[in-house]
Amino acid sequence: MSSQVNQTKVDLSAVNGLSDNATGVRHGEQLLAFTEAVMGSDAAALQEERSKLRTLLNDEEFVDVAATIGAFNVVTRIADSTGIPLDPMIREFSNDVRNELDLGRFASSANTPAG
Amino acid sequence: MATLDYSPAGVSVREDLRDAHERLWIHLASPGNWWTGAQRVAIATAARSAVECKLCQDRKGALSPENVQGEHTSTQELDQNTLEAIHRIRTDPARLSKAWFDQRIDGGLSEESYVELVGVVTLSTGVDYFCRALGMPAFDLPRPIAGEPTRTRPDNAKSGTAWVAMLAPEDVSGPESDLYGDATDAPNIMRALSLVPNEARALQSSSDAHYVAVAQIADPTVRRAIDRMQMELVASRVSALNECFY
Repeated sequence: MSSQVNQTKVDLSAVNGLSDNATGVRHGEQLLAFTEAVMGSDAAALQEERSKLRTLLNDEEFVDVAATIGAFNVVTRIADSTGIPLDPMIREFSNDVRNELDLGRFASSANTPAG
Repeated sequence: MATLDYSPAGVSVREDLRDAHERLWIHLASPGNWWTGAQRVAIATAARSAVECKLCQDRKGALSPENVQGEHTSTQELDQNTLEAIHRIRTDPARLSKAWFDQRIDGGLSEESYVELVGVVTLSTGVDYFCRALGMPAFDLPRPIAGEPTRTRPDNAKSGTAWVAMLAPEDVSGPESDLYGDATDAPNIMRALSLVPNEARALQSSSDAHYVAVAQIADPTVRRAIDRMQMELVASRVSALNECFY
C-alpha cells in the first residue's frame, strides 16, 4: 500500500528472497541483506552486512531498521502462537500482494478460513 | 532496576524506545495475572536459551517437529510442557498448530497462563532481536519483583475467533475499558493477548515505539527516519523468514 501512495513499483519477489532486486525502495537490497543476516546465525555475515548498511544510513535510520526487525519478531510470533485469523479488512486490501507472494503456503494460513 | 546500556551499539537510541524498553523490563519482572515475577523472568530466560536447546535444533531441521522426541534443556525450573511452549514459540513459531496448542492446555497450562507466557516470550524476543541488529549483547534480564499474581480474567473475553479467548473493543469494561482507547475496532493482533490485559497493553506500548502507533498503521504516509516503504520491506522480509501468514 505504501508503494501505491508513492506511485512506485516494487519487486515483491525480493520479500520472499527470490530476487536481490528491491527496486523502488531506497537502499532496499542492503536492507534485505541486513535483515536476513540478523535473522540468520552467521555472526561474520551479520557483522559484514551491518557494516555495509551503516555506510548508507545515519544513526537514526539504522536504529529504526533494528526497531522494525524487533517489532515484527514479536507480532509474527504472537499471531502464530495464538491462532488469530487475518482480519477481513487487512485481507481485502492485501489480497493481491498475498497472492503474488503466495503467503497461503505458510502453515499459519490455516487459521484464516478460506473465502 | 539497572539502567539499560546501549553504549556497545555505538549509536544514539531515541528516547521513546529507551522508555519503552525500560517499561517492558519492569513489566517482565513484575508479578503478572497468572505467573509471579520470578516465573516470568524464568520464562524469558528459558526463551533466550532456547536457541541452544538440542531438541529444538533437531526439530528445526526435521520435516515435522513432532517426529523428533526428547526433552528440552533449560536451566530454569519449568516443566517440560511449559518449556515446549516457550521454546517452540521462540524457535519454530511457523509450525505451531491448534493441535499443538490443545496439547499444551491438556498438559497443564491454563489458557490464561499460556497467553501471559506468549506475551513474555514474544516481547522479550523482540528486544533481543533489536539488540542483535544493533550489534550489542542482549540486555541482562531484570531481577524479579516480589508479589503474587492477581489471578483475574476479564469478564467478557470470548472464545471462537482464535485459539485463545479475546476481548473485543465493544466488550471492554471496568479495568479493561482503556484497552483499545477510543477505537471502535482493533486488528486481531492487538486483541490476541487481551485475555491478559497487561500483556496487550505491553504489546501496544512496544509496537508504538518500535514500529508505528497502532492507530497509524493503516496510514501509509506515517513514517520514521526511514520511510514507510523501507519499514514495510524490512517487516515483510522478517515475516517471510518467520513464515508468518498474518
